[in-house]
Amino acid sequence: MRPFRRRGDELVARLVDAEAGIVGLLLDQLEQLLSADPVDSGGDPVLARLLPPGHASDPEIAADYRDLTEEGLRSDKAADLAMVRATLPPEGGEIRLDDEQARAWLRTTNDLRLALGTRLGVTAETEPPELDSSGDGADEEGSQLAVYYWLTAVQGSLVDALVAGRGGRR
Amino acid sequence: MAGPLAPAWTPETTTGEESELDRPWVTVVWDDPVNLMTYVTFVLQELFGYDEPTATELMLQVHNEGKAIVSSGPRERMEHDTNRLHAYGLWATYQRDA
Repeated sequence: MRPFRRRGDELVARLVDAEAGIVGLLLDQLEQLLSADPVDSGGDPVLARLLPPGHASDPEIAADYRDLTEEGLRSDKAADLAMVRATLPPEGGEIRLDDEQARAWLRTTNDLRLALGTRLGVTAETEPPELDSSGDGADEEGSQLAVYYWLTAVQGSLVDALVAGRGGRR
Repeated sequence: MAGPLAPAWTPETTTGEESELDRPWVTVVWDDPVNLMTYVTFVLQELFGYDEPTATELMLQVHNEGKAIVSSGPRERMEHDTNRLHAYGLWATYQRDA
């Protein structure tokens, strides 16, 4: 991966084949989750994190909020996801984003990190996995955690590039 | 739905009950282990127009104290602010100001 940088009006990064494949797979999983029937998916901790309650302690206000906003939130997330998919080179290669596309990438990479982080039980103390030098690579959770930290680097570079651009245009 | 047409200002002739109703609502952002500090600062600037030092201060308050009030006003607006924060994946709720 070559992290995001601002180049003129665009935000540009480069992914290799395998990285683009992983992002594509994660997008498929997120799409499935977001389109699941709200009743069937009740209690899924990942969905609860992506579509959180609006009130911390009052279930009535939280229910009002959900009625009012959940459908819109789901469809906005689905639209972001479609935008990311449309700008992701499936075999790897350069990604070039305008500011609107960059925001869709920000929100969607954040949703992917929230989903992975919730599933893996990431806390403030979690650390990146050690590189597996034994060669057996059998640790599934370790490799998912590696994907999580890889996404963190992608998203972090995009935030930095957007912030740098904002300063430059002042 | 009532809301935008109601007067924003209410004279202070109040009984206890009325002042309870007048108390503004607030939107609270809570600390969570996934969202990047730079991202939270960026989102607060983007959604609320805070300058960089203000957004950074709020982000640090979230990080160090577990939560911060990022906006206040009528209930409908706090609902909307919470919704915009949820669109960016921040962990936010709204409530009557304590």
